[in-house]
Amino acid sequence: MAKEMILVVDDEAIVRESIKDWLIQSGYQVLTAENGEEALEMIKKQDFRVMVLDIRLPGESGINVLAKAKTINPKLKSIIITAYPTEDTLIEAKKHGAIDYLIKPVIPEDLEKLIQDTVNSIDDGVATEKERIEKAPSPITKLYSITSSGVKSLIEGLIREREVIGVKSKQGKFIFDKLNSYDELILDYDITLLPPSKFLFPAKETLLKFNVESGPKFQVVNDAKPRALVGVHPDDINAIALLDDVFIKINPDPNYITRRQNTLIIGVNCLHPASESFAPSMGTNTADSGYDLLLTDIGIGFMAAVGTKTGAELLNKYANPREVTGEEIARQKEVRDEAVTKYQRSLNVPKERLLKLLQDNYENPFWEFRAKSCLSCGSCVMVCPTCFCFDVQDEMALNLIEGERYRNWDGCVLVDFAKVASGENFRHTKGSRFRHRILRKGKYILEKYGRAGCVGCGRCATACLAKIASPVEAFNAIAESERVKEEADRIIIEAESKHNIYLPHLALLVNVQDLGAKEKVFDFKFVDGRALGHKPGQFVEVSIPGIGESPISISSSPTRGEEFQLAVRNVGSVTNALHKLKEGQVVGIRGPFGKGFPIDQLKGKDILFIAGGIGLFPLRSLIQYVLDKRENFGRIIILLGARSPSERMFTSELEQWNRNPSIEYMETVEKGDEKWMGNVGVVTALIPKVRVDIKNTVAVIVGPPIMYRFVINELKKIGLADEHIVLSLERRMKCGVGKCGHCQINGIYVCQDGPVFTLEQLRGLREAVL
Amino acid sequence: MKPRVAFFDFASCEGCQLEALNLDAGELLDLIAAVDIVNFREAMSESSDTYDIAFIEGSVTRESDIARLEKIRQRAKILIALGACATIGGVNCLKNHMPMEEALKIVYGEDAKNYDTIPTKPIDEVVHVDYYVRGCPPPTSEMLKVVKAILLGKKPEIPNYPVCVECKWSGNVCAFERAMTCLGPVSRAGCGAICVTKGRNCWGCRGLVDEPNVDSEKEILQKHGITLEQALQKFQIYCTGGEKK
Repeated sequence: MAKEMILVVDDEAIVRESIKDWLIQSGYQVLTAENGEEALEMIKKQDFRVMVLDIRLPGESGINVLAKAKTINPKLKSIIITAYPTEDTLIEAKKHGAIDYLIKPVIPEDLEKLIQDTVNSIDDGVATEKERIEKAPSPITKLYSITSSGVKSLIEGLIREREVIGVKSKQGKFIFDKLNSYDELILDYDITLLPPSKFLFPAKETLLKFNVESGPKFQVVNDAKPRALVGVHPDDINAIALLDDVFIKINPDPNYITRRQNTLIIGVNCLHPASESFAPSMGTNTADSGYDLLLTDIGIGFMAAVGTKTGAELLNKYANPREVTGEEIARQKEVRDEAVTKYQRSLNVPKERLLKLLQDNYENPFWEFRAKSCLSCGSCVMVCPTCFCFDVQDEMALNLIEGERYRNWDGCVLVDFAKVASGENFRHTKGSRFRHRILRKGKYILEKYGRAGCVGCGRCATACLAKIASPVEAFNAIAESERVKEEADRIIIEAESKHNIYLPHLALLVNVQDLGAKEKVFDFKFVDGRALGHKPGQFVEVSIPGIGESPISISSSPTRGEEFQLAVRNVGSVTNALHKLKEGQVVGIRGPFGKGFPIDQLKGKDILFIAGGIGLFPLRSLIQYVLDKRENFGRIIILLGARSPSERMFTSELEQWNRNPSIEYMETVEKGDEKWMGNVGVVTALIPKVRVDIKNTVAVIVGPPIMYRFVINELKKIGLADEHIVLSLERRMKCGVGKCGHCQINGIYVCQDGPVFTLEQLRGLREAVL
Repeated sequence: MKPRVAFFDFASCEGCQLEALNLDAGELLDLIAAVDIVNFREAMSESSDTYDIAFIEGSVTRESDIARLEKIRQRAKILIALGACATIGGVNCLKNHMPMEEALKIVYGEDAKNYDTIPTKPIDEVVHVDYYVRGCPPPTSEMLKVVKAILLGKKPEIPNYPVCVECKWSGNVCAFERAMTCLGPVSRAGCGAICVTKGRNCWGCRGLVDEPNVDSEKEILQKHGITLEQALQKFQIYCTGGEKK
């Protein structure tokens, strides 16, 4: 939304500049003028929405500026500021189009609030330019002060003149009903069961009478007696204004018009709003037209705003009005401002956004979901002050000659509302009907008539037994789902810019070496020069196009340069293809994946490495790392087991470790041969031979699944705690990115959460250790 | 020739016929001018077996009722179910929630053996029904509406929306807000919400609407302090519970 343009006119630089700063901070565009002449020149050139005007200016007076500005730009809303509020200036200013005033020194919050309300009241986003101009010059409201007894004699006078419908109590609630005396009238109430508009558009009324004796003859039925509606709240006044648009502007409805013309509206500002009301959000907690008189109880009497000539005459005839004082104006403002703070519900989005929001969310699952408990009972629409749908039926007398055509309230949430004679129902689900109603409230009516179909009175929410009817709840829920959607969209859009997780990077085979009968070690480096950036214990997915991908643990330490080593036993299709590769050929590599060994946890500790068979391949990356950063670690004890001397891998490196004085090194084979001089037996048997400080030792184990249980048993025997036993699990890691599910152990994805775990982490995972 | 109208009563209090007599004098004269009433036990002693329109009051509760009702159906061109007992079973259905022997014993004590009884059925479970005039008692205006619709050859416009609609038209304070519970939200309107307007609550005597949200109604009843069992019992008074009508 474009920033609203505000003009600030004040001869005091300090006032001018501070107001400017506050408003800019609140997101408005602000220009300033230091006198009236300058301001008027600017208004000619710029389309300002709001003018904040000091009423006392050198040269051209504030009142003159107001009057001239109004002729230059009729849409401009002016707020005056003054240090010396007198009733004369205020009334004069109002007469010349000022919509409100603030007393100097101006409080930033008050000003911002007032500007916000003013801006909201200007733009409903839909009204055409022509409509806007037609509506812009609101009737000059003249304000008077009357006493409580003035109100009493006004009502009594009205009761003598015409039927008076006022607010009365009924079983603890309030209703509009015929007043027989002033004493029945309640002016301080929250909300009535039915809106006052039912006296303009009754639940059931006859439109025509007919006689078919000698060919059909129709006779119009349209009579209305003079009436006054007393105690109408501004939201209901606004609702009647909508009904006026509906029933008068297009295809004028004679019955409505006759009643409307015969009805006086004596409004009263609402000081104690109903709990479900959100009128301020809809801009309907106040009304500057649509009434003959609008009363405000200011505690020390009443203020009476005059909306029509009839209103003025009534006031003079019965209520003994007198001019208002500055104190009374201030008091009225105070009670009205206080009332606004009492509303408990509000729209979480600007009402200008509703239309688009509802348009974009036609297919939102919210509608069906929310409407599940809808009783299709019609309570929400029957109590609504803006609902005006009806059904028309004929009723014949028993003589089958005379009859009448009548209408009664109908409603779009009722099951049969959109059902045609052939039986088809065009809104056959509860959700579609619920959506239709909310869209009428926030969109359809607004588009057609330029006013929202909801004034925020809250009657529907109160009447709904299933507690789903509140439009503000629906509006907010849709706005919230939109917000969630936007967030999700943002995540999706941002994610798209990142790399494709399934796309391998090309790596060149630099060197290949045989390790055993079925094992080779491959040295790779990325073609584009990138570093793998791995941690010991992580793995990569090696990809041979046409054959597939296979997870291979990294055998070298990141401390050994940019090339990385993968030691691979030939056991499947991919590894078989890998074994056939020659130096200079290229494979795809994704990764590194997984968490790797917990290096931070190992720092300063004695480390007991235990490897069985090719478990040495991943473990080697950590051993190399620890040796390269020897000073960071305590004792290094390496226990290795192989099936036979010929199945020992990296033999020359083993020889170095054996000779390294900072390593305690032991090795065993399960089955020796004639040359083998060392230990014979399983690796588990080596454990009792080392003395470890159980408090400061972490055992890191990698080997075939079968080995783990025995090793763990042995380590538990010497008293090692679960959190000090680290092992790397082998699983079928297909995607490497926690999606495909093959490597999942209960809720854990080994490829992402492992493959290295402490025994403590694995406790409770049923399938973890075979 | 004027259509001949007959009234017949099955298990009922005959209140529907009495209600028909509550037409104001002008309406009654108009009705007599429009139709010939040939059978009306509550108002006349003559009777005839020739008629075009049969109003059936009451529900079927004995084996012998079935043959009698079928005979009426054969003779009548148009058959109208009149009142709650005929349209949905009515309060007679209360016995359906216990064994028939027990029901007989409660009502007739020692003499139970002299009577036979079967579970209560609304009449459309036995014969085809052309029109329904619902309620306990049914509003005379609706009775007339159906008669007029037949005479005019049009479909009578009987509401298929809940009592809440008419309750709101009447400007009533909701029964739930008066610490009562109410079946209005799922029960068929057409009564002008008369019970609620008079300060009571709705018991569903006109049956359920075509697409009642019974689950939601039960939740609401429970929210207002009655147990599910009590809620179900409420639905049983007029046999509106699991019944489709």
